[in-house]
Amino acid sequence: MFAPKRWKKALPVAAIALSMGLFTACSSGGSTGATPSDGGAESGSTPEDGPTLVMWAGSQTPLVANFNPYAPTVLHAALGGIYQPLYFYNKAEPTPPVPLVAESVEWAEDGMYLDIHIRPGIEWNDGQPVTTEDIIFSFTNEGVQMDYVDSAEALDDNTVRLNFNTPAYTNEFSLLGATYIVPKHVFGEVDDLVTFANTDNPVGTGPFMLENFTDAAYTAVANPNYWDEGHPAINRVQWLGIDGNASGESMFKTGQMDYATMFIPHPDQLTDTGLGYVKVSSPNPVVIMTCSNADLGCTGAQTDVAFRHAFDVVIDRDEINEKAFYGLSTPASPTFAKPGRDEQWMAEGVPEKNPTTADPEEAKKIMEDGGWTLGADGIYEKDGQRAAVTLVSVEGWGDNNAASELIVAQAKKGGLEVTHQTVTLDQFTDMRLTGEYEMVFSALVGTPISDPYTIYRNCFTTSFTQPVGTSLEPNQTNYARYSNEAVDEAVKAAAMTNDPEEKAAAYATIQENIYADMPYISMFHGGNQTFYNQTEFDGWPTESDLYAFPASWDGISAAYILSQLTYK
Amino acid sequence: MKYYLRRITFYIITLWAAVSLNFLLPRLMPGDPRTIFMEALLRRGGDITPAMEHSVDVIFGAEDSSMWTQYWQYWGNIFKGDLGVSITKFPAPVSDLIFQALPWTICLVGIATIISFILGVTIGAYAGWKRGTAADGIIPFMTLIQSVPYFWLALVFIAVFAVGLGWFPIIGGYSLRDFYAGPEWSWAFVKSVLYHGLLPAITIVVASVGGWVLGMRNMMVSTMSEDYVVTAEAKGLKQSRVFTWYAARNAALPSLSGLGITLGFVVAGSIVMEQVFTYPGVGKLLINAVQNKDYALMQGVFLIITVTVLAANFIMDLIYGLIDPRARANV
Repeated sequence: MFAPKRWKKALPVAAIALSMGLFTACSSGGSTGATPSDGGAESGSTPEDGPTLVMWAGSQTPLVANFNPYAPTVLHAALGGIYQPLYFYNKAEPTPPVPLVAESVEWAEDGMYLDIHIRPGIEWNDGQPVTTEDIIFSFTNEGVQMDYVDSAEALDDNTVRLNFNTPAYTNEFSLLGATYIVPKHVFGEVDDLVTFANTDNPVGTGPFMLENFTDAAYTAVANPNYWDEGHPAINRVQWLGIDGNASGESMFKTGQMDYATMFIPHPDQLTDTGLGYVKVSSPNPVVIMTCSNADLGCTGAQTDVAFRHAFDVVIDRDEINEKAFYGLSTPASPTFAKPGRDEQWMAEGVPEKNPTTADPEEAKKIMEDGGWTLGADGIYEKDGQRAAVTLVSVEGWGDNNAASELIVAQAKKGGLEVTHQTVTLDQFTDMRLTGEYEMVFSALVGTPISDPYTIYRNCFTTSFTQPVGTSLEPNQTNYARYSNEAVDEAVKAAAMTNDPEEKAAAYATIQENIYADMPYISMFHGGNQTFYNQTEFDGWPTESDLYAFPASWDGISAAYILSQLTYK
Repeated sequence: MKYYLRRITFYIITLWAAVSLNFLLPRLMPGDPRTIFMEALLRRGGDITPAMEHSVDVIFGAEDSSMWTQYWQYWGNIFKGDLGVSITKFPAPVSDLIFQALPWTICLVGIATIISFILGVTIGAYAGWKRGTAADGIIPFMTLIQSVPYFWLALVFIAVFAVGLGWFPIIGGYSLRDFYAGPEWSWAFVKSVLYHGLLPAITIVVASVGGWVLGMRNMMVSTMSEDYVVTAEAKGLKQSRVFTWYAARNAALPSLSGLGITLGFVVAGSIVMEQVFTYPGVGKLLINAVQNKDYALMQGVFLIITVTVLAANFIMDLIYGLIDPRARANV
């Protein structure tokens, strides 16, 4: 996403500018940039006294202590709070990444290696310095499993070079923003990196240190030797385990909670009590998946591209959003890049956003152009096949079920017959894996940063799918069985370059093809609602100043926010 | 003696069947834990890196051996007291999870059940004794309370007493603000536990007392038409004596055997109460295990429930054999 070399200069400047703009209210006023004077080694400081910040990251009781970033059941505080990646990426807006453990990085011209400069003077919370050994270990150990990293070597005391076996530009976020730097002197001694629970004073570089743990809650205190002078400015954070949203809401109402991201149908009830509120859309697009490819064994009316296009225009997304999603969703884009963040990648000629209202006449026109004729019962037919499909959603997922019911009624106006059926979660996963479905109400995994590459590769390319009847491999997520050579080629081309123009050209090819073929009907981005205590704490992200994705369950983002908060 | 031998043999066979079913049933359920775990991560919006997938494979991919081998290992482990490791609460051993949750469940649900029983039987006996009078008017009211879903009742109680009036805490078994480090042996902690247990206990009692009242009241009415009660009254015994020693004592027998079974099920916890109050207990372990196909945890919880229910029944059987000779003769 950045041209080679140029980034090195741009980053610290941008970071300082960002921090100045955002945190002028900070009492300590420290700079967060990687200026040479900001050594970090002697940055010991204890925050002033103040209340404990109580937050809920979605954990349910009983909590089980696990602070190993390689474990699937790791607790939220470990990710970002105790262990940090090289950079912090803002998943909400395309602002430049903020350096954490790294001071700067440089890509090779051809993307075959990456040089990482460690922040000078940075230390683990046990007092030992962070060395090139630690960085090499963090990128090559068994827990990280990066098959594109060939080798890692120390160029000097402060620089590590990662060598790749293929241009690794597209893995930038993985490498810099999602790989945790762990101490070799702790993790190197462990037999099995995955089953290690790491509960005894976890050693990390992050702003917080584990204090107490119980099966109902755990607390972490500010790391007095944190490299970022003057941060964190709050002294203790408590993560709770709560079994239901209703309790979370009650705790906010009675002033017993300070920070949580959770679904509340009527947020006014909480904001009226003086709580801060920010709504952001999830990067994951809600879609209606279709088993689209008859060549790979899909059957049903939805294998006809005219049917899918007619379906796209006949549904009334505004009505669905209002009635099924409490008006909290925002429109998604048929390019599968995220509106409001990824406009730079959206090709001309493809609509930026989905239609919001229904157009049954247009739907009928599309069907007739596609060779369908209106039958006596008001449903289209073609070669003896009726334009009828079964739309499946998961039992108990109320929003999806309500939306599906609305679609049944809306589709009828365009001469399409949709039957809604609910299945168990088990059946649902099985249907998606084997491709034995017509349409399912589901979601795709979007990209955390402003670059739609991974969603194109994982959900639209031939190598990420299987014929119907064969279960997808664990990493394959092309549920629609979509296969298009032009898309496969363009995805390959995009991986080979870091030049924004070449990339945009490749993405344009992909977008034109997937819009024409429409294997997934793009719907919305779901809304994440975050509530926070703004009477005692200051420095939260707001709608106008989204310096981080505000979700309390997103470890790295939440930890970054916590490290920026101050007492009022 | 022959009676007891038969009962013991019967219980051993039942136990074997129950424990074997306990092994088999979870494996007959559709779906696999790995995909469910990934789906949960996705729905929460997390990033799934290849490293994360690898880790999930390491933890979930343990079961490759045949069903028979697994079955024998399962029995072996039960005798060693090893119930395995939970995958959704990794790396906690199942036995730790259960034994941390059991005291909370037994104390809260157990005490609430006994209070509810005593209260219900007393009210029921009195209503039956005064049948047809104003005291009997309590019955429709009890039926009403009985038919209110517990979930709704608990939410209303929280909204009114915990949020609206602020008399009670909303979540937890003790104050998480005052005891960061968890349970400790101090008077302040005990007070905190009692205070936090009060509202959940009240909701359980309110929701379950109606059943005991109805059962006891009807039994009381039919007992009072028995010859020995009529005789007692004809002899001119004091009303209080007829009430306590002739009518209520006999009418309470079916309720008592019901209590035996209910107490056996106490260890299963109160799933809804634990969810609504975020109260520690066994019920949520069970529901989590079933939802996430956590076989080890599911088996562990089922095993504890099975064994306790069987033990409660066994003790009831022995007591019945002791006090009622007919039970011994007919078997």
